[in-house]
Amino acid sequence: MIKLVEAIQILAKHQVDFVLVGGMAISAHGSAYVTVDLDICFSRSGENLRRIVNALTPLEPRLRGFPEHLPFFWDESTLRNGTNFTLRTNLCNIDLLGEVKGVGDFKDALAESVNIELAGYQINVLTIDGLIKAKTAAGRVKDQLILPELEALKAALSDEDAAG
Amino acid sequence: MKRTPEEKLLNPRPGSKIAAARDFGIDLTLLIENLRLTPTQRLIKNQDAANGLRELRKAMLQSNAKTKSGTK
Repeated sequence: MIKLVEAIQILAKHQVDFVLVGGMAISAHGSAYVTVDLDICFSRSGENLRRIVNALTPLEPRLRGFPEHLPFFWDESTLRNGTNFTLRTNLCNIDLLGEVKGVGDFKDALAESVNIELAGYQINVLTIDGLIKAKTAAGRVKDQLILPELEALKAALSDEDAAG
Repeated sequence: MKRTPEEKLLNPRPGSKIAAARDFGIDLTLLIENLRLTPTQRLIKNQDAANGLRELRKAMLQSNAKTKSGTK
């Protein structure tokens, strides 16, 4: 069972500084796109790394694709020594992104986010404009395919009637 | 009079981004349905769909394995 919403709640409960990006952000804005993992852009401050480790340790995170027989050390040092991590956890796949292509680091993502109530918590979610930038920069076919839908949502939600 | 998001999606202006999305193949009725939900409800709907896809994939793999073992 994939538990994406519960994963968001756990991060928020542990006061992790993050911005929801990727498919779940797209979904939160109203897209019909279906995603199976959780992508967040996280603050790389020491305190936040500690919170991420505490939040995710019970979920037994491991790097996806990492050889099963090799030990994986889930601690602040690991997080400090890398930027982006693609994790498999007990709840769902979680991608921890120190930087988002086309947007920047956590501060940039935060500046381009809206704070909305999600599953009982106030969560920073990348704006539709930010998602368009990220998907355009990612440049993969699957990212390009979502762009017309994001543009349509942006136009529908715009104050300018001519946009729609 | 200013149109609501739903009105824009139901009747996109020719040449607009919404019309382009419709022409690209996006089902605008799905967006209308989603915009009627709260953001939390949208995430839960996504999660349910993700689990449905997972079950379907599992069933497909089992079916394929059964077919393969039957043909040996």
